[in-house]
Parts: sequence; structure tokens; C-alpha cells
Amino acid sequence: MDFAIQFIINVLSLGGAYALMALGLVLVYGILKLVNFAYGELIMVAGYTLHLVGGSPLPWLVMAAVAVVMAMVAGLATDYVAFRPVRAKSVTAVLITSFAFSTLLQNAALLFISPRPRSVPLPEIFSQSVMIAGMPTPMRDIITIVAAVVLLGLFAFLMQKTVLGIAMRAAATNFTMARMLGVPANLIISSAFAISGFLAGVVGILWIGRIGTVAPAIGLEPLLIAFIACVIGGMRSLQGAVLGGFILAFIDTTLNYTLSQDLLKFRDAFTFSLVILILLWRPEGLMKGPSSGQRT
Amino acid sequence: MSIKKTAVLIASGAMMTAGAASAQDGEELLIGGALSLTGIQAPLDTPGFLGAEVAVDYLNENGGILGRPVKFVNIDGKSDPVTVGNVAVELIDRGAELIVAPCDFDFGGPASREAQEAGLVGISTCASDPLYSSWSLGDKQFTLSMWNTTMGAVAANFACEEKGWKKAYVVTDQFIAYTKSLSKYFVEHYKDIGCDVILEDTYTNGDNDFSAQLSRLQALDETPDVIFLSSYGQDIGVIIRALREAGINAPVLGGDAYDDPAMHEGLGEKLGNDIYFVTHAWMGPESHEKMPEFIELYTAKHGEAPESSFVATGWDTIMLMAAAVEAAGTTEGAAVARALEEGEFDLLTGTLAYSSAEEGHEPDKAAVLTELTGGKPSFMGWRRPETLPKP
Repeated sequence: MDFAIQFIINVLSLGGAYALMALGLVLVYGILKLVNFAYGELIMVAGYTLHLVGGSPLPWLVMAAVAVVMAMVAGLATDYVAFRPVRAKSVTAVLITSFAFSTLLQNAALLFISPRPRSVPLPEIFSQSVMIAGMPTPMRDIITIVAAVVLLGLFAFLMQKTVLGIAMRAAATNFTMARMLGVPANLIISSAFAISGFLAGVVGILWIGRIGTVAPAIGLEPLLIAFIACVIGGMRSLQGAVLGGFILAFIDTTLNYTLSQDLLKFRDAFTFSLVILILLWRPEGLMKGPSSGQRT
Repeated sequence: MSIKKTAVLIASGAMMTAGAASAQDGEELLIGGALSLTGIQAPLDTPGFLGAEVAVDYLNENGGILGRPVKFVNIDGKSDPVTVGNVAVELIDRGAELIVAPCDFDFGGPASREAQEAGLVGISTCASDPLYSSWSLGDKQFTLSMWNTTMGAVAANFACEEKGWKKAYVVTDQFIAYTKSLSKYFVEHYKDIGCDVILEDTYTNGDNDFSAQLSRLQALDETPDVIFLSSYGQDIGVIIRALREAGINAPVLGGDAYDDPAMHEGLGEKLGNDIYFVTHAWMGPESHEKMPEFIELYTAKHGEAPESSFVATGWDTIMLMAAAVEAAGTTEGAAVARALEEGEFDLLTGTLAYSSAEEGHEPDKAAVLTELTGGKPSFMGWRRPETLPKP
């Protein structure tokens, strides 16, 4: 029983972080049908902002807010620098510009800050633990679960009930039709990037909270996780991305708990084999999105 | 500034260099570096590069090598083994007479192989896997670092004999040859000297999740006296955090990958306690009388104090080359290699003597033991184990 509770907390906290990462990626993909390969760098930007404001006397929550805002700014910058100028041209062009923007940000951190990791300020609560079912459980895990629930709830409300959300969903379903009906294209796309940056900023703080330091290549892992989660869940469905995040966390955690030491070395091979099996069964991912998937 | 003016400035600059060269009366000695200043290897190679630059300036101010001025040219190896190899070829084409190879077998090996092919001595700044040997790379190739056999043995002796920690829990990150072989030699030596490993576990670099391993550790009937954790980069901090948060306060022990000020700061006063690691150098006068002078020169050249003790490996690599070339009287590969095999060198990163090429150029080197308390490192002293596990 104790064991089961621990396991569930682990899956939920890891899954919550994965789901938020995936949501930020799929949000932009849904509208543009293009993967933003500079997504991981938004997390990096949040991390370095925390590092840079670390020396100031501001309360931690303000620093965190500044970091999230900077991630949103970086998200918007991605749109203006890498997507908008070449959006109407070819997929290849955008693929390359988004990779280029990612490399540019990473190397800027490497050159202007340092190739070595830098520490970030974290509040006391991130390193405290509480007893749950007789086992010390990190507060950070609980915070991650709560943050994921709150953000996913807020996000669902935004998409279902607000004009912006409805317009974004309309744009994701049929962009041309949405434009004809008066939805301003650039505004919708920029909002998607800003929300994507917001999610990356929050998840970046939670993710870096596990690590304690930030380095130029910190965004690689989250980008990969987000991408796999989206592929599992379905690249066109927002719910799918969230589901994919939790499934990926469940697979990883289960394998971590059950594989023997000799097999654990090859855990990623097992994870990806399972992902391939899921895709063979459901090539479109677990959840189908809106049927018309034309690129805009 | 007008174009004409710039041209004049460049010309006068060139004349100044020419003047300095003729003053030392000799042809320039080119040392080629294939260190990676970008990519995954940059955190280890950049400090080595910065340290090497300081050493070259120091040599030139003190008469160069064999009376010849020294020039150090590094071309970014970009953390890509193929690029590192190509860069080495280009440097050799340009007339490099010695090669500085990156700080790891996978990344540094290609540079050393090209150096061997061209009959030159190549030295890696800090590759510590025993794969970095004359057996696999050739009779003119060396690594400045101790091997993981030494690093593992020093850690094992310290835990088992010095501290009397008899039961160890060992975690091995499956990331690279370094992380795996360090655990292997620790476990081997630890058992050889009569201590026990109660549990061995695996971790995947980049996971940032240690919960399954924790539950296996907590399921044991006994508690470990010490935790030997061989990981890499930021993941060391992740795992130590996870252990301490779960209320596991046993001392943590590891290798030179712990020598990272950002990790120490990140763990801070609360979590950065009871952590010990074996590394190359200590940036203070306690470890070597020459250390303060090096730090002063470094600060003067680069405008800031060294970020990590890995800068000393770059300085030492160049100084080791200089000492060997002076002893050999030439930069010819075979002669320099012989001088390296025969000499005993007093370096910032410890005394060093190599075995013969038949014995793999195994470095017999001293290691620094460092303790972390309240997020602050302190020097515990040099250790040079009497017996080592077989590579």
C-alpha cells in the first residue's frame, strides 16, 4: 500500500511536468502544423533568468514571475524571428529557422554566460519533504502535481470559455475558414507562442527545481519528452498531449521500478519499443484531433 | 576608423610579433589543440583551454621551449569525434609539433590517433578512462589525468580504511565510459580491501528522477554507511537532492565530475554536506606552492578568477609538454614520448610518472580529496594509493 502511494505520487508529479511540456509544444503545432524546435530553449531562458536575478533581494516568487515572463518573451521572439518571416514559404525553411534559433540561444548562453552549469535560487520549500504513508515525500513533487492540476484547469477554461481560446481552437481546426470569419491570424499565432512560453516557463522552474542548476543544453531533454508525449497522445489533440505526458511518465516510472539491473541500462530501448507498439496500433496517436490538418 | 589606418595598425602589430620572435632567436613552436569550446564537451574542455593559454604566455615570458617561442592554436572540436579528428589533421598540416587532445576518450581519441599517425606526441587534458592508453591509441599518446583505477581506489581506501565505512550503496550512471568504469574500479577495490557493497543500482543520465532507485534502497533491511555515486554533469546534484530529501543522510562519495562550483552552490548550506570527492587539483596554496602564482597569472590574463579547478589541467598539459621537450632536446615524437616515460613530473595536479608503452602509459599519479560542507569545498589532502585495480 505504502509502495503504491509512492508510485502514484511519482507518476503524477513526473507526468504533470511532462504533460505541461507537451501541451506547450502541441499548442503551437496545432495551429501551425510545425514543431517548434526552439521550445526547449524557452525552458533554458527561464532557468538563466532565475540565475541572473538570483543575486537580487527580490522575493523568490517575484524572481519566478520574471523568469516566466522572460520565457513568454522568448516564445514571442521565436514567432517573430523564426516563424513569421518564413511561415508562408516551406516547411523545410521553418524547420531550419527554428533549429537555428535554438542553436543561437544555446550558443549565446554558452558564450555570454558559461559552458559550465550555473546555480539558480530555489525557495526553502523546494528542498523540504513531508511524510506521506510513512515515507518522506519531497514537497517539490506535491507542488508539481498541484501546479499541473491548476494550470491544466486554467488552460481548459481558457480554451473552452474565452473568445481567445475559441478562436485558437477554430484556427487549429481550419485556419483559412477561421481567418475568413474574422479571426486575426497573427494575433492568434502570437498568443499561442506566448502561452507556450508561459507553460515552458512554469514547467522550466519546476524542472530546474529538481536539478538546482541551469546549463546551455538543459532544454534538450524536455523537448524530447514533449515531442514523444505528443506523438503518443496525437499531434493534433491538446487532451492527447496531456494524456501522452502522463502515459510516458507511467511507462518510464514502471520500467524504473520493475526492470532488473541488467535490463535497466537499456530502459530507453524498452520505452521506445512501447511507443512504437502504441503507434503501430494507433498511427495517429491515441487521440484524434480535428480532421482537417492542413498546414497554414 | 578609416581602412588605411586599420591596415597600418595591423602591419605594426605584425612587426611587433616578428620582433619578439627574433628576440628569442628561433622558429615558432606550434602546439595544436582540438579542444571543444562548444557542445556537450565544452564544460570540461573550455577550462582546460583557458588554462593552457596562461601556460603558453608564461613560457613565452620565460624563454619559450628550447629557446623557441611557443604558439598555441586551438580549433574548436565542437564535441564531435569526427570534427576533432579533422581539426587535428589540419593542425598537423599547419605544422603543429605537439597535440593537445580533448578531455575524454570518445572525444579525445580521434585527435590522439591523428597525432600518432603523424609521429607526434598527443596528451589529453583530463581523460581518465583507462581506455586512454598507449594500448589503444599508440606509443606516443598520454593522458594528463589519473586513470579511473586511481580515482576508484582512492575513494575506496578513503571510505573503507580511513573512515571505516564498511557497507556501500553504489549508483552508476550509464552515460559514458567514464561513469561506468569509475564505479567498476571502486567496487573492485572496495571489495578487495574487505568491505561490502550492499546494493548496486543504475541511473540514466538526464532522467532527473531518482524515485525508483530510492524505493529499492528504502526496501533494504540495512542502511549503507556510504553512498558511492558515479554520475555526470547536473545529474549529480539531482541525485544528491533526491537522497537528502528522502532523509538519507549517509555520506556521498564520487569522482572528479563533482568538481563543479555550480553544483556546490546549487546544493547550498542545507544539502551540500557530508559529500566527498576525488579530483585533480585544489585551487589553493595547500595543494601546491605554485598554485597562487598560477591563479594570479590566470586572473591577470582572463580578467576573472578560475571558474573550476579543471583550468589547472590545461596549464599542466602545456607545462608537461614543455618539460618533456626540454628533456628530450627535440619535439620529435619518439624522443618526447621516451622523456615522458622516464621522467617524474611535479605538477599542479599532482606528481606524475608514466609506465612504459608496453604497460599502457598508465599514469602513477596523486589525487586530491575534497570535502563539501555547507556547500563549501575544503581540501583534505593528496592521496596516492599503493595498489590499484587492474585496468
